[in-house]
Amino acid sequence: MTQAERLYYRDDPDEMLLRPLDGLTLIYHRPSGITHIVDSPVPEILAALSHEPLPARLLLESLSADYDLEGEGEALDNLAAHLEELCALGLARAR
Amino acid sequence: MDERKEQDQGAGRDGDCEAQGVPGAGPSAGNARRRLLLGGGLAAASAVVSIRPALANTAASVLNCQIPVPDPAKGMGQMIAPDGKLVPKGTKGAFPASSKPFTGEEVKAALRGGRSLPGTSYEQNRAYLNYIRRLQNGTSGFTCYASLQMPR
Repeated sequence: MTQAERLYYRDDPDEMLLRPLDGLTLIYHRPSGITHIVDSPVPEILAALSHEPLPARLLLESLSADYDLEGEGEALDNLAAHLEELCALGLARAR
Repeated sequence: MDERKEQDQGAGRDGDCEAQGVPGAGPSAGNARRRLLLGGGLAAASAVVSIRPALANTAASVLNCQIPVPDPAKGMGQMIAPDGKLVPKGTKGAFPASSKPFTGEEVKAALRGGRSLPGTSYEQNRAYLNYIRRLQNGTSGFTCYASLQMPR
């Protein structure tokens, strides 16, 4: 399966406790007990994710409705990289 | 982060050519839409710093983290065999999924042989612990289990 076909989603939002801190965001992930200190664009990407599995392409469309993004091809690659990282951290899921 | 820098430096701190060099750039440029930098040469990893409970030496977090048996995303409708592998529903000798996740503290005590996982029989406890020992990165509960292994 290529990365473009991967569908991304997140579990129950209650699993995460988000708190803004001086421009950064603290995320406490209850199941792992790990605290993540994240910077933009991670909170924005997490907010775009829902329980409905979506490809990076549609998530990018959703983000571009709210934000000005960089060039499209590059933005998709960068978004996919962030999504993969969030999956590795357990903050997002993919299938 | 870049956007915040621009806003902070709009008042005239040096070091940001873009904010100073472009007339009208800054928070009052009249653009309601925020700019979102997804990359721009920054490595994705730079946006995240993770504090792992064992490194932060916060024992309470480790003991309160959760291990579902099995991972609801991967073991939906499956059962746990005595060796800890996931098997189809109805497999003889296998145990049903636990109705609630176990805490790090419960798993730690059970791994040490002190007391069984709550609500489990002797054989069921062994099957669940075998499942937990087989947890791999990317499976729900793995980080919690890994944290239990780290010396403090």
